[in-house]
Amino acid sequence: MATDATEPKQVTYARVNELVLNMLKPPKGGWYCLFAMCFCAFLWGFGSFVKQLLMGMHVAGINQPISWGVYITNFVFWVGIAHSGTLISAVLYLFRARFRMPIYRLAEAMTVFAVLTAGLFPLIHVGRPWFAYWLLPYPNERALWPNFRSPLLWDVFAVSTYLTVSTTFFIVGLIPDIAVARDKAKSFFRKTLYSITSLGWTGNHKQWKHYMSAYLFFAGLATPLVVSVHSVVSWDFAMGNVPGWHATIFPPYFVAGAIFSGVAMVLTLIIPLRKVFGLEELVTPFHFEGMVKLILLTSGIVTYAYSTEFYIAWFSNNQFEKYQFWFRPFGEFKAAFWGMFFCNCLAPQTLWFKRLRSNITYLFIMSIIINIGMWLERFNIIFTSLSREFIPAMWGSYNFSWVEAGITVGAFGWFGMYMLLFIKFFPSVAICEIKELLPPPMRNKEAAH
Amino acid sequence: MIGAEKMSGSNVVVGVYTYLDDVLNAVEKIKEAELDYRVFSPVARHEIEEVTFPEKSNVRRFTLTGGILGCTFGFGLAILCSLDWPMRVSSKPIVSIPAFFPVGYECTILFAALATMLGILHFCRLPDLLRKVGYDPRFSEDKFGLVVGSTHEQLDEIQQFLKESGADEVDVREAL
Repeated sequence: MATDATEPKQVTYARVNELVLNMLKPPKGGWYCLFAMCFCAFLWGFGSFVKQLLMGMHVAGINQPISWGVYITNFVFWVGIAHSGTLISAVLYLFRARFRMPIYRLAEAMTVFAVLTAGLFPLIHVGRPWFAYWLLPYPNERALWPNFRSPLLWDVFAVSTYLTVSTTFFIVGLIPDIAVARDKAKSFFRKTLYSITSLGWTGNHKQWKHYMSAYLFFAGLATPLVVSVHSVVSWDFAMGNVPGWHATIFPPYFVAGAIFSGVAMVLTLIIPLRKVFGLEELVTPFHFEGMVKLILLTSGIVTYAYSTEFYIAWFSNNQFEKYQFWFRPFGEFKAAFWGMFFCNCLAPQTLWFKRLRSNITYLFIMSIIINIGMWLERFNIIFTSLSREFIPAMWGSYNFSWVEAGITVGAFGWFGMYMLLFIKFFPSVAICEIKELLPPPMRNKEAAH
Repeated sequence: MIGAEKMSGSNVVVGVYTYLDDVLNAVEKIKEAELDYRVFSPVARHEIEEVTFPEKSNVRRFTLTGGILGCTFGFGLAILCSLDWPMRVSSKPIVSIPAFFPVGYECTILFAALATMLGILHFCRLPDLLRKVGYDPRFSEDKFGLVVGSTHEQLDEIQQFLKESGADEVDVREAL
């Protein structure tokens, strides 16, 4: 399994088409099994949600003082997952990082579907989702407007902008590749689907010129979103005067954590996909090496952020902060803290060893460990701080409910269903961008560059 | 069918090329003869861009306009809503620009991105589901295409030229 991390060997333009379009062939038993599993998980989640709608919020474990529970943990987790997609597709595009090419389409799809999943949780959490439109500034008879100084409203703007922009960026990137699928499609259904969704793209010189120019602008516009959206999500916490939350380190700490978990999720998705569809020629250890470097960097940043939080709690001499940061490693939720510390700080350090990071199976396991760690990080931030605020009379505890567990598992099913459908209907590896990496066919070979 | 672009002449001559340098040399000559042409390629290549369209794309104007509109909209919305329903918290001003910055910032990006999308559709003449003048499905795989608009009298000369310039295949079609 272990191989050298070199650049991918050269393939021809036609071979790239063949390899990627091969993924769009009619699904086999394994795909149906996975889809059925995701659908069952989704049904469990949907059933749990209906139960909560019918019986009220008491069926969820949230209480006073822990009024933000698993749902908000899941919201932050899924928004975080979404982030690395934009990082890989936009930021690394601007930096011309060659390792992004075969993975960025999947990362973008992951972004769009993860934001769709994240968007469900505030609606589920508010209890009466049919009033969700109250969040938006719309004219009404009492001239009531939302509070534009609230981070919760910033979040509405940030997440909805992020969903719209990342979806647009994703669709724009897909157009030339869908045209490739259109030209090779045989069935009437696929031919029609791809003809409509490719918008009649032909790849003439004017189209490419405007397209590449616009793509660069999209990358430039999406890049500040990578930083801004999770910063705004972090302000949901940091703007509140709660011990453990009210810290200026939160925005960079959240952004780094988001990239950390998102890159791990890309690995979780691309490793099995590469194996199942035989993409070893396109996704090589060179690409994994690039992702591992990102993981090591962001793991270092989150570890530094955790340490800074403890140091500042001690250095500030604020008794509430000091107690909070004693409670995290030694209090009721200590398992979450130490789990987080192991998964996010210690385990990724093994990737410094070349033998381990070039082992694809080990990388896959590590990606799952990191995602568990990042979920625990959000759990740790929300639960420990809310259960130990200022007044001991207001301290509280928390019991999970099956409804919350069902909705959490259901969200993975919902996300998985979208990913599986996308993989089977649209090119999940960027055909045209991989071709850009290859030397063009030249009669005069010396002119190729 | 939004704004599909016509080619001049009653016919088009389609040359299918395997090699990029062949098509680039042919384009240079076609440009000198001031004929209407399109180059199709399976991938964006800067060599083609330098020969065919060295000017800057006007998509940037759409992006800038969208960004300015979005910024005005975001800050305007927050300011007007706050003035219409003043919520006095501590002694903070009703129009709190730093607090409105996230909304203004997000709207700037949102509007700029949507305007860029409109820019692509406008300048790439999309959607154009039916009029693919001179297009061949091989142009999305591994072949380059040079399509030249031609009058009836020029047909033979252009066909001859494309063959000599290294085209694997030359074909004549109606210009639509």
